[in-house]
Amino acid sequence: VIPGELGQERLAEAADAALTVGADGVAVIAIHSIGGLTRFASSRIHQNTWREDMEFRVVAVVDGTKMGVASTHSLEPGAVRRAAEDAVAIARVTPGDPDFPGLAPAASFAEKMGFDEATASATPADRAEAVRHALSEVPGTMEAAGYVETVADEVLITSTTGVRAFGRTTRAGISVLAMTDDSSGYAERLERGLSDLDPTSLATRAVDKAERSRDPKSIEPGAYTVILEPAAVSTLMQFLGYLGLGAKAFLEERSFMTGRIGDKLAAELITIVDDPIAEDSLGLAFDFEGVPAQRVVLIDHGTAKGVVWDRATAKKAGVSSTGHGLPPPNSYGPIPLNLRMEPGTSTVEEMVASTERGLLVTRFHYSNVVNEKETVLTGMTRDGTFMISDGRIEHGVKNLRYTQNTLEALSNVEAVGDKTEISTELFFGGSRAPALKIRDFKFSSTTTH
Amino acid sequence: MGVESGIKELVERALDAATSAGASYADARYLNEEWEAIDVQDDRVQGVDRGATAGIGIRVLVDGAWGFAGSARLDPSSIDRAAALAVEIARSSQAVKGPSVRLADEPPQTAVWATAIEEDPFAVPLEDKIALLLDASGRMKMVPGLGIAEASIDLWRRSSFLVTSEGTRIDQTLTQSGAGIRALAVGEREVQQRSYPNSFRGHYACMGYEHIRAMDLTGNAQRIAEEAIALLKAPELPSMETTLILDGPQLALQVHESIGHPIELDRVLGMEAAYAGTSFLAPPDRGNLRYGSPVINITADATTPGALGSFGFDDEGVEAQRSDVITEGVFRQFLSSRETAPEIGEARSNGTMRASGWDVIPLIRMTNIHLEPGASSLEKMIGETDEGVFMSTNQSWSIDDKRVNFQFGCEIAWEIRKGKRRRMFRNPNYAGKTVDFWSSCDAVGGRDEWAVWGTPNCGKGQPGQTARVAHGTAPARFRKVNVGVRG
Repeated sequence: VIPGELGQERLAEAADAALTVGADGVAVIAIHSIGGLTRFASSRIHQNTWREDMEFRVVAVVDGTKMGVASTHSLEPGAVRRAAEDAVAIARVTPGDPDFPGLAPAASFAEKMGFDEATASATPADRAEAVRHALSEVPGTMEAAGYVETVADEVLITSTTGVRAFGRTTRAGISVLAMTDDSSGYAERLERGLSDLDPTSLATRAVDKAERSRDPKSIEPGAYTVILEPAAVSTLMQFLGYLGLGAKAFLEERSFMTGRIGDKLAAELITIVDDPIAEDSLGLAFDFEGVPAQRVVLIDHGTAKGVVWDRATAKKAGVSSTGHGLPPPNSYGPIPLNLRMEPGTSTVEEMVASTERGLLVTRFHYSNVVNEKETVLTGMTRDGTFMISDGRIEHGVKNLRYTQNTLEALSNVEAVGDKTEISTELFFGGSRAPALKIRDFKFSSTTTH
Repeated sequence: MGVESGIKELVERALDAATSAGASYADARYLNEEWEAIDVQDDRVQGVDRGATAGIGIRVLVDGAWGFAGSARLDPSSIDRAAALAVEIARSSQAVKGPSVRLADEPPQTAVWATAIEEDPFAVPLEDKIALLLDASGRMKMVPGLGIAEASIDLWRRSSFLVTSEGTRIDQTLTQSGAGIRALAVGEREVQQRSYPNSFRGHYACMGYEHIRAMDLTGNAQRIAEEAIALLKAPELPSMETTLILDGPQLALQVHESIGHPIELDRVLGMEAAYAGTSFLAPPDRGNLRYGSPVINITADATTPGALGSFGFDDEGVEAQRSDVITEGVFRQFLSSRETAPEIGEARSNGTMRASGWDVIPLIRMTNIHLEPGASSLEKMIGETDEGVFMSTNQSWSIDDKRVNFQFGCEIAWEIRKGKRRRMFRNPNYAGKTVDFWSSCDAVGGRDEWAVWGTPNCGKGQPGQTARVAHGTAPARFRKVNVGVRG
């Protein structure tokens, strides 16, 4: 009974109704999304859902520089046309922007294989089976919670300037939280396909962490050498991306990158790129302005190299868009949605073995900004924080609050993990990161568990 | 206003299809949410975004397990398929099933309910709204040295029709409005900001355009621009333990994070454990746990007129209620749903289940969680304080997964010395533990300083849902708080 894809032709047929509305230019972003999400808690499925949505976002330009945006989620005949008429009406009463870059010109796009048929057609029973596999690894002395999700998206950008970009993408995700009375362990995986999730090994990881962190001990806050697992590194990297790796913040001098291109901002071991088109990223081959997406080197072996651009910021700076535009109207500017930190050569086991005294952190919780330009963040550890003594994981510790300058942390990196994982989903993207060993990572307080 | 009859027939059809397919309980909920968002930066309109999303969500119980399907395709065959799929999903839940879900009894309701508004915000000409924002932004930019001026308006209208297999039929329309301005001063190493009337895009309410007209954005523009610039040169708040006085908007977020979330019964029962986290509270804490000092009285009130978290009925068809959460410092009651209330022996849900869209299931969400007024005033609290800090307007928040250890940053602070407000501090923040912090409160402002602050961005659930909630607060004073936490 699962309704299928609309397909490029059907999406285009609906979207194209906007193009003849009578404006200087019209662009339509059409997104059709189908997904199932099965959540479990207390070791049972407690929320089990499915949704099908579509959005037609119409951008109309009148008098050269005046833009209006209106959208509908309806496939009903006439709905997209009415949205287009509304967009024109909005544009007519909106003051023009002399810096408006115009709609993107036609372009060709790299083929990107990002669609897994089996994931697109996954049934509720398939997701429940993945949950059952995961829970089969959880002993009766623990409770487990988490989710299994499968999503298929179709995205079409079409415009009066000749843009015709279409992409299909799938993603599958799973998380497992294993809990005892006084400890917990967590593991998560995001991939293109449901068959890549490996629920049993993921659950084993979570159970192992929960088991090893039983009877956690309180430790004093302060500076510790830390080994951050990929999920924790992703949190830091996502905040860097949000705070300062987009061109709008860069041009407005709110970014830590402003005036520092060419400067050493991190350790030699650190290279961060945004790469929507890599085979193993979850991104599309084009952005929401219909510009081909590019791989952008942001920090190269510790040196600030650049930021990501959309058409408006690129015009202001006299450069080209890198294909990182968000759906208009967009007051945030371009943001890197497919960040990745390049892997190094160390295993987590080697990092632990080389640590005399330190902490292993599974992930962070509820992080937020303390000082955006200085990249100071704060947040909590959760679901598996361990004391390392003399090269061995000694015992679990009660969770701590970190308050840390992120660039300073990246400057104190001593080792980079040899494997990367995608964590923290962000729209179509997610960031891919290795584990890091960092000295002098600052914890400002502790909590009760 | 209200949902048109053709749509109502489709919603009834969804319900029939779900029960025919084997659901022992079913509800079908149509929602059409219209929005308008206007963003201005400096002298430019950054964008006007107008749109609508409509669809039907069908929630079913089959053999005691849940299934849900939501679709934007509003034609009979698509709705039939979605209803059948909801039942199939519920059956798939049997693969890993726990105890059967039991719903607390609730009388069927038939009602038409709408937010009381004086002026339809969608009917106000767009050019008038743009002019207001450009004027306020221009006033900020007139202050020499200001980096960036921002102004925004957000409007929503949610028209819904809920039917349940128990006979409930509710047609409800909520109108929500908000606006705000922000001044950013950009320095070499820091960016300082001041917002009005509140941060994170402003001040929100279940009201019409009269809410925005009453704000006087333009009249406050110059002041916040000057404060943002002054902050760049102000000394940084030193690290110390001191007396802390919080203004209403900051206290609203403090209530939100350290009372509103921990009292959500689904968190307490572990239903959000893997994502948003759990709670330090447990069912036996009702009537026993001293959550705060005797001046702390907290209510959950979905009936507060005009408050952003107010409604007529929740998305399970339970009528809006007001209940005591903390009385004279003692914890009394959780926020519950028809599923969770019986699990702790309660006969009835207290009506907090809301879904952010037609495509997601309702979850327990805060309504309006108020810190009830006390007997003091800001002037009196400052006057009685020998040494301390007064902080205003939230800038940053973080709290652990059981809602114990928190750290908040504010936009601005002032030193209090010998009963007077003195020099300004930049980068103020404070940290603490929930029960210790509320236990250290020794004064709460009175009714004339009490106001309801909308929080339009409360996140919870998977897929992520954003709820619009609110908190009534007056300024309050806390003793022995760690402030000036640095990395």
